Amino acid sequence: MTTVLSLKDVRLALESNAGLVEILHGISLEVPQGETLGLIGPSGSGKSSLLMLMGGLERTSAGQITALGQDLTAMNEDALARFRRENMGVVFQSFHLIPTMTALENVATPLELAGHNNAFERAREELEAVGLGHRADHYPSQMSGGEQQRVALARAAAPRPKLLLADEPTGNLDGANGEAIMDLLFGLRDRHGATLVLVTHSRALAARCDRVIRLRDGRIDTTQEAAE
Amino acid sequence: MSLRIASRFARRELRGGLRGFRIFLACLALGVAAIAGIGSVRSSIEAGIAEQGAVLLGGDAQMQFTYRFASEAERAWMQAQATSISEVVDFRSMAVVERDSGTERGLTQIKAVDDLYPLIGEVRLDNGTDLKTAFAGQDGLPGAVIHPQLAAQLALELGDRFKLGLQEFVVTALLAHEPDSAGGGFGLGPRTLVLTKDLADSALLAPGTLFDTQYRMLLADTVDIDLAQADAVAQFEDTGMRWSDSRNGAPNIAAFVERLGAFLILVGLAGLAVGGVGVSAAIRAYLASKTQVIATLRSLGASRATIFLTYFIQIGILSILGIAIGLVLGTLAPIVLSPVISAVLPLPTVIAVHPEALLEATVYGALTALIFTLWPLARTEDVRAASLFRDAMNAAPGIPALRYLLATGILLAALVAAASWFSGNVTLTLWTTGGIAGALLLLALASVAIRWVSRRASRRSRRRPALRWALAAISSPREGAASVVLSLGLGLSVLAAVGQIDGNLRGAISRDLPSVAPSYFFVDIQRDQMPAFLERMDSDPAVSKVESAPMLRGIITRINDTPATEFAGDHWVIQGDRGVSYAAELPETTELLAGEWWDADYAGTPQISFAAEEAEEIGLQLGDTMTVNILGRDITGTVTSFRNVDFSTAGMGFVLVMNEAALAGAPHSFIATVYAEKEAETAILRDITSANPNITAISVRDAIDNVSNILGSIAAATSYGAAATLLTGFLVLIGAAAAGQQNRTYEAAILKTLGATRRRILASFALRSALLGTAAGLVALTAGILGGWAVSFYILETEFEIIWNNALAIVAGGVLATLLAGLAFAAAPLSTKPARTLRSAD
Repeated sequence: MTTVLSLKDVRLALESNAGLVEILHGISLEVPQGETLGLIGPSGSGKSSLLMLMGGLERTSAGQITALGQDLTAMNEDALARFRRENMGVVFQSFHLIPTMTALENVATPLELAGHNNAFERAREELEAVGLGHRADHYPSQMSGGEQQRVALARAAAPRPKLLLADEPTGNLDGANGEAIMDLLFGLRDRHGATLVLVTHSRALAARCDRVIRLRDGRIDTTQEAAE
Repeated sequence: MSLRIASRFARRELRGGLRGFRIFLACLALGVAAIAGIGSVRSSIEAGIAEQGAVLLGGDAQMQFTYRFASEAERAWMQAQATSISEVVDFRSMAVVERDSGTERGLTQIKAVDDLYPLIGEVRLDNGTDLKTAFAGQDGLPGAVIHPQLAAQLALELGDRFKLGLQEFVVTALLAHEPDSAGGGFGLGPRTLVLTKDLADSALLAPGTLFDTQYRMLLADTVDIDLAQADAVAQFEDTGMRWSDSRNGAPNIAAFVERLGAFLILVGLAGLAVGGVGVSAAIRAYLASKTQVIATLRSLGASRATIFLTYFIQIGILSILGIAIGLVLGTLAPIVLSPVISAVLPLPTVIAVHPEALLEATVYGALTALIFTLWPLARTEDVRAASLFRDAMNAAPGIPALRYLLATGILLAALVAAASWFSGNVTLTLWTTGGIAGALLLLALASVAIRWVSRRASRRSRRRPALRWALAAISSPREGAASVVLSLGLGLSVLAAVGQIDGNLRGAISRDLPSVAPSYFFVDIQRDQMPAFLERMDSDPAVSKVESAPMLRGIITRINDTPATEFAGDHWVIQGDRGVSYAAELPETTELLAGEWWDADYAGTPQISFAAEEAEEIGLQLGDTMTVNILGRDITGTVTSFRNVDFSTAGMGFVLVMNEAALAGAPHSFIATVYAEKEAETAILRDITSANPNITAISVRDAIDNVSNILGSIAAATSYGAAATLLTGFLVLIGAAAAGQQNRTYEAAILKTLGATRRRILASFALRSALLGTAAGLVALTAGILGGWAVSFYILETEFEIIWNNALAIVAGGVLATLLAGLAFAAAPLSTKPARTLRSAD
């Protein structure tokens, strides 16, 4: 099976008030196309940082990340942005919708960036797919947390990305809403045939992944296949 | 109890230092500094005038007469009061230089003095000689001291000769300092100083010519100046005497400085209002950052009053600090500006701390700080303990409780009352504060409209993402469109209005006036010179029109047998002496609006024809009686007609005309206006003044230039005031941009995550700044054009057209200011690492 994402001895160290803090210590892994990979671990284990590195949202201190055959570590900021808009969708725990834009505009933004002529028609379809067609003209502040996360999902999925990254997508939601978001996330993955990497604390969510990697202190602790 | 705890809390909160309050302090300090500075400069000049009153006047007291020397009775009265009396004759004439290459002429304001001049103060000459030596002259010719400007104009050097009337003088010195130059107000030509006795053969002070005499007195120690004034006024006011004394040695300039100062302080209030917008925004941002602290205090049991007082005390302390910085800067203003003031006005300034100016600025600063911080402070009451779990501050209603609305209303009323009291001009204050409030309201409404339009436009810009993001951001309350439009708009509006008014006025003067205005006014034409004068003009095909009239000067002293000041207040027609004429028949160009003109041979009780507009302004009716003092003689006549007099053409216009028999016997000269082609002007001037050295020619073009320059100075002073407002506005913009940096960083992080390049994000940031700046500039331009049109149409009564270069500069200024402020804070958002920004927001 084709490898979509490949990490070789990836390290991350960040400056803090206390000096240089080692976040990740040589992570190596491969994600084949179509796989759903779950990243779990205690707070501070480095799972979100690892996801950010996979999305090119953070730069590695050492090591190499290859996504869809391209070396992310060799790209500059703008090249990474272009790569993301063509290939990736990212979902955050805190939704991160642009507060000055309506739901429809938020979803249309990555399509506009990618130069789609029918950005708004596509955005509307995506909103309808997450059940929010009727909330298209509402601003984030006018929506509940669950609705905002659904908009964020629609936005991530709108450009039909080959790679979907989700950082604790249900972390800020109650049980019922979290459940609904999980269903939608996996539905989108299936609909677009995307590879999904998600960070979660939720056992239920992890259970639906093909493979789960547990991180501890910036290192891979265990790897669990779905069949196990 | 609450106050003590609040003070303690406030002290703890202030431990964090002044970070986050820089814009607050800068806005308040700048506004207070501008007002304190203007007030201090004004007080410095006023103190200088008061301290140097006797020097500026040239004596302890002065009696002034128009057109004549003092009578025996008047001289006797002065000698009884004074230890010394000096006589000064002031008039305009032509300085004529004859050379082989041709004759040159220049208008000069002559001050003819006696040996005692100056009684007080010192005339300084550039070559270090004294006045007595300078007047002694050389080669048998009397000496004259001339202003360097006249020397330059006529290429005169020391030892050169020139003529005043028929008398030849030699230039013996250039005037470096004239101690009493400020007392007389603004003259039309540069100064020439000579001895009066040397003019005896000049033919310049013949009966009927226009001159003023001033008798400066050094009063005996036993004389009470109040009693002396009262006595002089009682005895001689009806003979046209005007009194002044050392308590106000330069009344015209003092009044000008006071009025201009009051106006500029009111312009300064606009700056403070803009600063208030910044103060309000800074406090809102600060309190928003304190939501969690306030909610925590509330959850621990702090009452709403305690919370309010905690932050009221903090902001009060910071306001005191801001005002104090402003006062220090304002106090330094006269020291820094002293050389500039000396260059512009011939006045001494007293460099000192002027408490009244600082008090005025403190009151304005404190009231503004209270007005603009009360609403944001009131919202602290809306923060509940539940805010710890959600962003309740943002959801709080915009209108505070009724008690805060009432308090704001009272503070606003106090501000207007204080401004009225300090400026001493309620009408001007109400117009100005009303104008500022109206402009702020208009700008606030405009900012709402801009957001609405941006919202609509963003939906139509779906194929241009950078533009759509920019428009979407402008339409959002987060981008602070209101702050930008309010802060930038007010300063730009004032600048635009000044630019439009100034441009239109200059346009009217340079474009319209020359086509209707005469080339020259000739004054002091004696009756026997008139036939030759008219013949010269009639024979010149380049002369299109000549108007002439007998000219006397008189003071309107009584109307309907009551003092004129009681009847007409302070209307200009009764201030000082006016040109008065007589005519037998109704001149062809005169339009009679009411009443009847007298018969050509009428010789009964004097009849008066008065200017209709001015008559209406002072409430004059047909049949009213009016007493005019001419050459010390009272002439009482009945108003029998009203005429249309148009002063806007700079042509001949007399407010008051009498029948011929009433005035023809009085010594007088004639005045004439000559309308000629420009090319013929030099020859006319040469012929008339060569043949008649006593005749003075006033070039209307030069006079208009003088007036234009004075108007230009006032426009410049107002522009400086507006520029201070604009500077404050720019500070507010910087503050708004700084406050918005976090939002932009967050937005940039999301856009980067979604695939936007830095260039695209920068383009969007630049676009939103430029669009907001354009919008603010356009709104300001609209307000400025409306203001300019209203002033031009209703007050100046000139045609109005938009001055496009000024208009474009205003819009460009708006764009530039917002771009600079916006892009100065673009670096951080552009360099942000999305992961860190988005995770720290989690």
